[in-house]
Amino acid sequence: MKILVIGLDCVPPELVFDKWRGELPNLASLMGMGVYGPLESTIPPITVPAWASMVTGKDPGRLGFYGFRNRRDYSYNGFSIVTSRSLKEKAIWDYLSEAGKDVVVIGVPPSYPPKRVRGCMISCFLTPSAESPYAYPPSLKEEIQRLVGEYIFDIKDFRTDDKDNLLKQIYEMTEQRFKVVKHLLKTKPWDFFMFVEMGPDRVHHGFWKYFDPEHIKYQPGNSYENVGLEYYRFLDGKIGELLGMLDDQTAVLVVSDHGAKRMDGGICINEWLMKEGYLKLKEKPKGIARFEELHVDWENTVAWAAGGYYGRLFLNVRGREASGVIDPENYERVRDELIEKLEALGDENGKAIGTRVYRPQELYSEIRGIPPDLIILFGDLYWRSVGSVGWNTVWVRENDTGPDDADHALKGIFIMYDPRHSGGGKKVEGLHVVDVAPTVLNLMGLPVPKDMQGKAITTGEAEP
Amino acid sequence: MKEQGFTVWFTGLPSSGKTTVAKLLEKELRARGLKVERLDGDIVRRSLSKDLGFTKEDRDKNIERVTFVAKLLTRNGVAVLTSFISPYREKRDQAREEIGRFVEVYAKCPVEVCMRRDPKGLFEKALAGEIENFTGISDPYEEPLNPEVVIETDRERPQESAAKVIAKLEELGYIPKVAPEGGVYPDRVYSREEEKAIDERLRALGYI
Repeated sequence: MKILVIGLDCVPPELVFDKWRGELPNLASLMGMGVYGPLESTIPPITVPAWASMVTGKDPGRLGFYGFRNRRDYSYNGFSIVTSRSLKEKAIWDYLSEAGKDVVVIGVPPSYPPKRVRGCMISCFLTPSAESPYAYPPSLKEEIQRLVGEYIFDIKDFRTDDKDNLLKQIYEMTEQRFKVVKHLLKTKPWDFFMFVEMGPDRVHHGFWKYFDPEHIKYQPGNSYENVGLEYYRFLDGKIGELLGMLDDQTAVLVVSDHGAKRMDGGICINEWLMKEGYLKLKEKPKGIARFEELHVDWENTVAWAAGGYYGRLFLNVRGREASGVIDPENYERVRDELIEKLEALGDENGKAIGTRVYRPQELYSEIRGIPPDLIILFGDLYWRSVGSVGWNTVWVRENDTGPDDADHALKGIFIMYDPRHSGGGKKVEGLHVVDVAPTVLNLMGLPVPKDMQGKAITTGEAEP
Repeated sequence: MKEQGFTVWFTGLPSSGKTTVAKLLEKELRARGLKVERLDGDIVRRSLSKDLGFTKEDRDKNIERVTFVAKLLTRNGVAVLTSFISPYREKRDQAREEIGRFVEVYAKCPVEVCMRRDPKGLFEKALAGEIENFTGISDPYEEPLNPEVVIETDRERPQESAAKVIAKLEELGYIPKVAPEGGVYPDRVYSREEEKAIDERLRALGYI
């Protein structure tokens, strides 16, 4: 048995299973012959924790990954970017390498610096540049350079209004990734092959408003109206090329780490904390300033927060933070109060938006590292968290870091084709990203370690 | 410009956790590439000050010697971590004045907790009258009035206490805010420039 896992960052079930299914013959045929269903992401539904949970079968608490950056200590600015070395749990390819299987892994976050595997690894989009040592074995880098020149990890200058150039870059990146994938599929021995393409995520964030009539900035007949569909068709064609290279003993999984949805606006979380008296500044910034640039009056600050597609809120606790003010005995009371107020916070007209606020302890089986004190999904993720200050309002309709059209959604996709059993095109519910690692090991005929939190998904299960 | 050092002066009751936190701090500062010297009561008492006892006069002399050594090291770019009971405010203030770049860390811990810890059995001996002039039992301890950092070692894990000191050193600009490559966090793989660039990229992508 061989397994190819095609990872498509940010692909939502609505587009592939419904809206554009008829336009995507290769994905549709995998769905038709296999099983498929929405794949629930981690909370937060964000690239690094979600992919890491998928390939380890362990939730973000177990991994200690609460976002791209995590607190490394209780100082006010001590954040570290997640790297492959912070991933302490074994990934699918570690189990497979140990079992004597040959693996090829490309671009699965977090995989910089690349780790030693029985086979090849190319690191993910968190690689500093094409100058970095991005391949294992190191000699693979030269091979890739000979094949494609400078390897593209991600889009340069994403926050641009030059949408044509942005789109050109996304196509170049995806085209190049598939070229590398095809080369390695052909030239390396492999039992397990997995790659992640970031292109769909970049298309969503850069172009969602042009193709979703429900987006507040959508204009009918705009010149980028078909960009989304065209890119998906292109992607489907590329996937078709890969499928054409496989033998009849290869199972195929198509997965995404989370979905996408239109972005309605942003909640300026630190503005709100200031307004409610939880956050005090020594001086107001001139214009809009990042949180790190502010002069915070820590001795009088109860809470502060970070921006992103979801919000992370931190409490200033006595004996924990250097100038902590919350008595540890009052910690839960303050958290409860903030949860209640944030969940009640509506839009600028007071209309409810359905914000959910989570205590990390209620989400995860275990807490490693230092989690935020609260994790906030604003307005069912139709709203993002804006960390910067100086807006003089809580609600903005623009992102603080430039144009953005889409937020992440809690559900991604799962499609599995197993040549040994027809899945009959059955749609299954209740799948979770932590199920993917057990599914792969199970397909490979290997035991699923007891400490993996997910369950193996089988095509058999879908049969009546 | 010549690199300047600093002295982190831990003060507090016996068994209040000064050395435990100083050792963690030493590890962290070394990992950040600093030259570190730890001056510890137990060691200095066996070498530099082995001729001294524990009367007020001798205690003062001991602290004067330590101050002198810390001053020399500090002006030569070393991060000095001293852990001495140093019970008298006047002597600590003198040390502050002489050394200049001086961070006083008060290891605050109720005497009952220190007595329960008592790894060297000193409180027991002091209570039995076998040790004279024992701080907290038969000799006074003068709490710092304005220490740069207070660590409450009965309520914090040593790592949390060390993190508070690190945060203060960063705030004072005595150490760089970002640990360079190969720091105590073995996960650190990016250079500072790379980290900054990736941070900007993630920000542009809307992730943070």
